[in-house]
Amino acid sequence: MKARNGTLWLFILPGLILYSIFFILPAGSSLLLSLTNWDGMTYRFDWVGLKHYGDLAQDPIFGKALSNNVKFSLTVIIFQFGLSLFFAILVMKNTKLNVFYRTIFFFPTVVSSVSIGFIWMFVYDPNIGSLNLLLNSLGLDSLARSWLGEPNLAIYSIAFVQFWGHTGQVMIIFIAGLQSIPKDLYEVANIEGASRWNAFRYVTWPLLAPSAAIVLAYTTIQSFKSFDLIISMTDGGPNNASEILSTFMYHQAFTYYSFGYATASAVVLMLIIMVVTYFQFRLLKADRVVY
Amino acid sequence: MKALAGKTSKQVLLITYVLIVLLPFTVMFFATFKSMSGLFQDPFGLPESFALTNYFELFRQENMLLYFKNSGVVTLFSITSILFMSSLVAFGITRMSGRKAALLFAFFSLGMTIPSQTSIIPLFIMMSKLGLTNSQLGLVLVETAFIIPIGVFILTGFMKTIPQEMIEAAQMDGANEWYIYQRIAMPISLPSVATLAIFALMIVWNNLLLPLLLLKSSALKTLPLKLLEFKGEYLTNYPLLFSAVVVISIPMIVLYIFLQRYFIEGVTAGSIKG
Amino acid sequence: MIKKRSAIALSLIIAFTMLLAACSGGTGSNEQAGANGKKGDKQTINFIHWRGEDTEAFKSIIAKFEKQNPDIKVDMTVYSSGDPYANALQAMILSGEGADVFVSAPGAQFNNLLKSQSFEDLSGSPLLENFTPELIEAGKSDGKQYALPYQLVYNVPVYNKSLFDKLGIQVPSDWDGFLAMCQKLKENGITPILYGYDVSPGQLINTLVMNNMPDKDTFTKFQTGEVKATDPWFVKTLEQFKLLVDKGYILKNATGTKYEGALALFAQEKGAILAAGSYAMATIAKQNPNIEQGLLAPITTSAADMKYEGIHTTTFMLGVNAKSKYKEGATKFIEFLTKPEIASEYANATGQLLTVKNVKYETKELGIQGQWSSKKTVFQPRLINTNKKIETALNESLNMIVSGTSVEKTISTTQAEIDRNLTK
Repeated sequence: MKARNGTLWLFILPGLILYSIFFILPAGSSLLLSLTNWDGMTYRFDWVGLKHYGDLAQDPIFGKALSNNVKFSLTVIIFQFGLSLFFAILVMKNTKLNVFYRTIFFFPTVVSSVSIGFIWMFVYDPNIGSLNLLLNSLGLDSLARSWLGEPNLAIYSIAFVQFWGHTGQVMIIFIAGLQSIPKDLYEVANIEGASRWNAFRYVTWPLLAPSAAIVLAYTTIQSFKSFDLIISMTDGGPNNASEILSTFMYHQAFTYYSFGYATASAVVLMLIIMVVTYFQFRLLKADRVVY
Repeated sequence: MKALAGKTSKQVLLITYVLIVLLPFTVMFFATFKSMSGLFQDPFGLPESFALTNYFELFRQENMLLYFKNSGVVTLFSITSILFMSSLVAFGITRMSGRKAALLFAFFSLGMTIPSQTSIIPLFIMMSKLGLTNSQLGLVLVETAFIIPIGVFILTGFMKTIPQEMIEAAQMDGANEWYIYQRIAMPISLPSVATLAIFALMIVWNNLLLPLLLLKSSALKTLPLKLLEFKGEYLTNYPLLFSAVVVISIPMIVLYIFLQRYFIEGVTAGSIKG
Repeated sequence: MIKKRSAIALSLIIAFTMLLAACSGGTGSNEQAGANGKKGDKQTINFIHWRGEDTEAFKSIIAKFEKQNPDIKVDMTVYSSGDPYANALQAMILSGEGADVFVSAPGAQFNNLLKSQSFEDLSGSPLLENFTPELIEAGKSDGKQYALPYQLVYNVPVYNKSLFDKLGIQVPSDWDGFLAMCQKLKENGITPILYGYDVSPGQLINTLVMNNMPDKDTFTKFQTGEVKATDPWFVKTLEQFKLLVDKGYILKNATGTKYEGALALFAQEKGAILAAGSYAMATIAKQNPNIEQGLLAPITTSAADMKYEGIHTTTFMLGVNAKSKYKEGATKFIEFLTKPEIASEYANATGQLLTVKNVKYETKELGIQGQWSSKKTVFQPRLINTNKKIETALNESLNMIVSGTSVEKTISTTQAEIDRNLTK
C-alpha cells in the first residue's frame, strides 16, 4: 500500500497546488483579517484580536441574520432534500417522458440566481405581481400577501425560490445514485414479495446513502451560501427581515467598509457550515458505508 | 386498477410540478416580447405580439457574438480542467489509505464552507501582482480552484463505491494506477462525472463575480457581464435583460439534454459490470 | 518517498511566495505596467461606473472620444450600483490596477476614498472652468478639488400634475395643506404617496427633515452623539410620517414594494406622488408620456416657518485614480465629458441635469427640473453623513414606521443602532 502512495500524490498534486494558491491563499488571508480593523480601502490596519467576535455577539442585526439563516436553511434543506428524492424516484427510469420532466425540472438551474431573483420579483410584487393576480383570479383573495414585505414571511418566500431553483439540480445526484443500484437486487426483492416501501427501505435507501449524504451536504452548504438570490430580490430588507449571514457579511464589507468585521462573520458562517455538515455525515453514517 | 390509479396520480404530481417550475418562466419569456411599460402594466399577461424586437436589439449590439465566444472559451477550458483535476484528486483520495485520505478530503471540502465574497479582494490583489488579471488563463485557473472542492466532494463520494475486487483484479494483471484511473474508475464514474460536468457548467457559464472582477477589456468579457449593461442605478431594462437570459440559457439546456445521455450509458456500463 | 517530500516542499514554497506577494502592499504595481498594454504608445484607460441605464449614451460618447484621441482607448465597465460597485472599486484601488477614471457618491464613499488617498488632486485644472463652481463643492476637501460631481439631482418626490389639475388640487405650501391634499386624493380612490422600501426612505427622509431641522450639519452630529433620534425635531418628523401611514396615505404593502414597482404604479396613474427624486422623471415619461410631471416636497411646517423648498444632490462624482498609469488620458476623458456639446448629448440621452455649464436641455422633464435651480434647496442631509451604518439606521426608521412599528419603538431601536456605531 505505502509504495503506491508516491504515485497517488502525482494524481493529487496538480489540483492541490491550484486550489491552495487560487482559493485557500486568498480565502485564508481574508479570514486572518477578521482579527484586524481593516476598512478594505487602505493598506493600514491594526490588530484587534477577538474584538469583532465580541461585537458580533452583541449586534442585534447579526442575531437577526443568524435566526433568519436558521429558518431559511431549515426550510430549504427539508424541502429540497425531500422533493428531489421524491421526484428522482418518480423519474429515474430513462423513458422519453422522464427525460422531458428532468429537463423541465432542471430549467431553474440553467438561469443565474440573479436573474431568478428578478423573475420572482415580478411574481411576488404585491401590486402587480403574478402570484397575487393568480390567487385573486382563483377567488383566493384572502391568501394574497405582500410576499416579500411581511417581516415574518419574507425569508420563507425567498426560501421557496431557493429550493424551487435547485430541486431539479440535486435530483440529478439522486438519479445517478439510483441508477447505479444493480437491478438484480430489485428482482430479488420482487421475488421475495417485498412491498414497494420495504424495497425502498431495505434495498434502495441503504445503497442511496452516499448520494443522500452528498445531496444533504450540498443543499446545506448551498442554502447557507445563498447570496445572489437575496441580494437581487430584497437586498436583505425590509428592516433586515431577509438578511442572512452571507448578505450580512457582504453588507458589512462593501456597504459599511468594515472589512474586518465582515470577515469575522465569515468565519462564524464557515464554522456553522462545518459543524452542521459534520453532524449530517455522522447521522447518515456516510463516512463508513460498507458494500 | 390500482396500478393505473398510481400511474395517474404520479403523472398529476409531475405535471403540477412542471407548472410550478414553468409559470415564473412564462413571465420571463413573455417579458421578452414586451416593452418596459407593457411589462409593468401586466407582467403575467400575453404580449401583444411575438415580435422579436428585443432579441434583434440584443444582437444589434456589436459585441454579443464576441461575448458568446469568450464565454465558450472560458467555460470549455474551465470545465475540462475542473473535470480532469477533480477526478484525479478524487481518484487519488479513494486509492489512498486511512488518515491521509481523510485529511485531504477534509481539506478540499473545506473550500465549500468558506464564503467567497470576502476572499475576492485579496484574490484580486494577488492576481494583479501575478499579472493574471484581464486574462482568460487567469480566469480559468480561478474558476477551477473555486469549483475543485465541489468536484472532489461529489466524485470521491461516487468513486468510493467502485467495487474493490475490480481494482484488485486489474492489479493482478499488472495494471498501474493511471491505467486503473483511465480504464476502470473513470468509465464507471461516468454518471457522476456527467453530474459534476452539469453542475460546473452552470456555475462557470453563469458566473458573474469572477469575470466581473478579473476581466476589464471589452474584448474578453463574458456573457453574464452583458446582463449588467441592462441593470441601472434606478432603471433596469427587464425586457432586454430577460431576452439576454433566454439567449444565454439556450446553449445550457442543449448541453444538459446532451449530457443526460451519459446517465443512460452509465447505467449500461453498470449492468455490464454487474 | 523522495518524490512525495519534494512535491510537498514545492507546493509549500509556492504558497509562501504567493502569500508574500499578496501581503507586500501597494508598492510594485509599476513593474507590470506593460503587462496589459499591447502596443507601446496606445493607452487604455479603464472607466468604471454604476449607471447601467447610461451604457448606450456613454458608448456613443466614448466612440467620439476615441475618434478625436486615436492614441487613447477607453474600456468601460458597468457595475450594479451599491455593493458590487464598491466591491470592484475597492479591489482596483488597492491593487493599483484599473479604475483610471471612476465615480463616487458623496458621503461615506467619498470620505473613504479620501482616506485611502485614491484621488488625484484636480485643483487648478483648466477643466474645472466648465463646471458651475457651487455645484462641485461636494467633491472638495480641505480646499482641494478631488472629485467632480457630474449629475445634479433633486431629491424631491415626483407628482402627477395632470391628475392634480383634473382634481383641482394645488401644490400645498404647508403641512395642513399637504394632509388635505392627501385626503382629497384618497377620497378620489388614488393612492396619495407611492413608496418603495429600497429607494424611498433614503429620499423622503431628506424632505421630511429639511424644515423640521433646517440646520445644515445636523446629520453629521448623529455620528458624534451630539444629536439623537430622541431629539424633539426627529420625533416630530417620525410622528408626522406615522400620521401619513396611519391615515392610509402611503401605499398599502409598501414594505414589499420595490422602487420599480412603485414607479410602475405611478406611470399607470394609480398613485399621485412617487417618493423618489428627479431622476425618476425620464423613466416615467418613457413608460407613460401622457403624464405631466412636477416635483413636490412635503412641507412639514407652516408656510411661514418653511426655510427650504427642496433638496438637491450633486453626485456621480468623476475622479482620476491617483495610482493610475494614464492620468493624462484619464483627465482628458473627464474634460471631454464636460464639453458643452458632449454634456448636452449625455443629459438629453439620460434625462439627467448636470453640474456642467452651457448644457442645452431639450426634454420636457429636464426643463421642469431646470426650474428648480432658482428655488431654495439644501444639499441632501443624508449624504453629509459619512458613517454609512448611521445613515442606514436613519433611513430604516421610515421603513419601520411603514411596517407598523410605533414611533417610540422605532426611535429607541434607531438610537440603539446609532449608539453602537458612533464614530470614535
